Amino acid sequence: MESSLKDKVAIIGIGCTKFGDNFDQSYEDMAAEAVFQALDDAKIDAARIDAGWLGTFSPGQGYGKASVSLADAIKMYDKPLTRVENYCATGTDAFRNAAFSVAAGIYDIVLVLGVEKLKDRPARGLASEGNHLYQHEGSTAPGLFALAATRYFEEFKIGRKPLAQVAVKNHHNGTLNPKAHFQMEVTEEQVLKAPMVAYPFGLFDCCPTTDGAAAAILCRADMAKQFRDDYVLVKGLGLAVNTGRPWFMPGHRFTGFPVTQAAAHQAYEMAAIKDPLKEIDLAEVHDCFTWTEISNYEDLGFCKKGEGANFISEGRSRLEGDLPVNPSGGLKSSGHPIGASGVRMIYEITTHLREQAGARQVKNARLGLAHNLGGLGAVACVVVLGQP
Amino acid sequence: MVGITDYSTYLPSYRIGRDMIAQQWGTKSLGGIKAVANYDQDALTMAFEVAWNMVERDDTTLSHDGLYFASTTAPYWQRASSSFIAAACDLPDEIEAIDFGGSLRAGMSALRAALNAVVAGANQKVIVAVADVRDGAPESLEEQQFGDGAAALCIGKEGVIAELIAHGSRSDAFLDEWRRDKDSAVSSLGSRYTLERGYIANTVTIGKHILELARLNSIDIAHVALSSPDGRAHITAAKKLGFDPARLLEVPIADGGLTGVPLPITLLCQALDRAKPGDFVLTIGHGDGADAVLFRVTDQKPKVSRIPASASPLNIPTYSIFRKQRDFNRTATEEGGVMSNVTLEQEERQNVRLHATRCQKCNTVQFPITMVCVHCHNRSGLDEVRMRRRGTVFTFTKDYLYNAPVSPVGVGVIELDDGARFYCQLTDIDTEAIEIGQKVQLTLRRLRDGGRMHHYYWKCRPLAVTEVRSNQK
Repeated sequence: MESSLKDKVAIIGIGCTKFGDNFDQSYEDMAAEAVFQALDDAKIDAARIDAGWLGTFSPGQGYGKASVSLADAIKMYDKPLTRVENYCATGTDAFRNAAFSVAAGIYDIVLVLGVEKLKDRPARGLASEGNHLYQHEGSTAPGLFALAATRYFEEFKIGRKPLAQVAVKNHHNGTLNPKAHFQMEVTEEQVLKAPMVAYPFGLFDCCPTTDGAAAAILCRADMAKQFRDDYVLVKGLGLAVNTGRPWFMPGHRFTGFPVTQAAAHQAYEMAAIKDPLKEIDLAEVHDCFTWTEISNYEDLGFCKKGEGANFISEGRSRLEGDLPVNPSGGLKSSGHPIGASGVRMIYEITTHLREQAGARQVKNARLGLAHNLGGLGAVACVVVLGQP
Repeated sequence: MVGITDYSTYLPSYRIGRDMIAQQWGTKSLGGIKAVANYDQDALTMAFEVAWNMVERDDTTLSHDGLYFASTTAPYWQRASSSFIAAACDLPDEIEAIDFGGSLRAGMSALRAALNAVVAGANQKVIVAVADVRDGAPESLEEQQFGDGAAALCIGKEGVIAELIAHGSRSDAFLDEWRRDKDSAVSSLGSRYTLERGYIANTVTIGKHILELARLNSIDIAHVALSSPDGRAHITAAKKLGFDPARLLEVPIADGGLTGVPLPITLLCQALDRAKPGDFVLTIGHGDGADAVLFRVTDQKPKVSRIPASASPLNIPTYSIFRKQRDFNRTATEEGGVMSNVTLEQEERQNVRLHATRCQKCNTVQFPITMVCVHCHNRSGLDEVRMRRRGTVFTFTKDYLYNAPVSPVGVGVIELDDGARFYCQLTDIDTEAIEIGQKVQLTLRRLRDGGRMHHYYWKCRPLAVTEVRSNQK
């Protein structure tokens, strides 16, 4: 990569709604709330926005299918707006495309918005990825990730205990995050005794279905100082796509996600990170299920493959550990409004880099990572953000 | 020589005790257990199960040119089960596929049609696959009596193990047992008159006729396979025909039930299993008259049983679960719109025939059918091949979220014997016993209903120990 994007794009404004069962808010209500928070945070008017990217995974009845949902939410018309959808990496990929436009010198100031309204659907949980009439019948999101967890258990001889430790940690962090879906401590015993959803995942091994929206305002790095001193710079970006149907892939091992490894490699290269464990101060990773976080530690290079269970058991990913992971409470406590999740992670990292995270503030946070994973390892996006 | 070249039977995995049914209604129990189809099975899928058994172990070069299906409980009024079964068995489109129905003797009618076709030289090798999933009304005697099952015969000229000696048919419009187009349960007029004028009169008359045709006496018949309307009347009919009760095949009422169309053919298969070369086997099936076929066992009959052992039976713990399984497909919400027949047709070779792609360069077999090898990225020289239908569980989950009448549902990634991977539900299985490395067989099941269609697709079931040893394609 001849021309790196590193340090060319800055985040000058962020916004995020309360994540949860937002029964009293519509999709557009949440979209507007997140965008206006971000505009207020950047102290600019919507008129200054040159272009916008909207991330929504699953359109509902009358919203979320196209970029008009962003235009109508904030009455921003005749601007170049684009909807992005890339499975559960939708939010970070919307951010990535927005960053490209600024780095390319096409626009000065752009908006990224992730919104998802999941609690107005008749079905429990999420429909399967792909939705082939026959080939995916029987799939649920926990059921798919459980396939990988079962195989991981077989190969690395672990049980459900380290998974429960992830739930305990992320639930604890959630109690410190007022915007998280849950503010509730859980014990290891509670997690292990909870009703099964899809073996080996019990109720507390699964992230909830949640409503929410998050937004970010990006600008050219050389303009950032006009808006604020504590802006944040984009250090690295990576996106990788693998098969959407690993269950049909001959020889597939299921013990981790090559897409995360590939996306992380791209982002680390751009950000000139050699040793992620030492250099990265905090990470928001895609813990759609507790086991996914354990695999993420390995796939993001925080530890070796097969050592993720020790990484959690030794407390290294706790708030006071050497690499705090999911200080927000992760998808586990914050919830997972899909298109919003990635942007919410960027909101979280930015908050820590600005040292505004209150009780959950990670000390000496200078470099942070956000990671989305879509499908059962179908797509991953990694964003590295740092202080100027 | 024309006759039977192969035979097989199928009993579904689930069992329910009749005491449990009787207890539910406060009625008298007939005793014993009945075999019942899983919620994802119907007459089509059970007939497939036996037909595939036959196709899979056929090691001759002569391909099947007929598939006759018979049932009183076919899943469609209009849409041939036989054509779908032939496709799922990956048989050629040139095959003659016929559905028989309308009477309990439909299976015997299909058998006689197959014999006639082969005798006439119109066909060379015909599979007769029959199945029924019959319902008696809740609380009725039939609810206890009926069981579900399937059986199949292959009729041909080469490798005949039971030679056709004589066959005949008689028709009778007498009213004894029926089901209207709008009924889900069978109605019957149970009385001594009904039995004597209906079942016994027809069975005895056709039996005498066949003995005359073959110029044999009742003493000459080594095995007598008589269908039965109640599990008892066939003993009376056999006596009237002068048969030694010891030569009468036992109707499996205590451990199965009255299966309807497959019953006489199942008994015939059991007779063949125990018969010695030279033995005469007489089979009579009743229903709106009666059909009879007499075979003589040849010295080509294999010594080992052709009937595969079923996997360990699974007990249904309560009557309400039995009812829920029974009614699931009938009452399930019709999810989804009408499926595009463009997509169905494009994907028929993979979704129905289970074809996959084999790379000529690296030999990788991959599903679904693809233009590019997933392993070596080769895109010239990819062959469409029949995927293996047996394999082992590579990984699995037990999903409590997926909508099904029983929870959890086993879902697994299967490593097939050719290295291809397949993703599907595990059925006919105690979910507590699922384990990595377990041997399984792909099986056609009714996945769900939607868009005014029954949707069939593949699941996998545990392999019985004896199946593990037999040949496969």
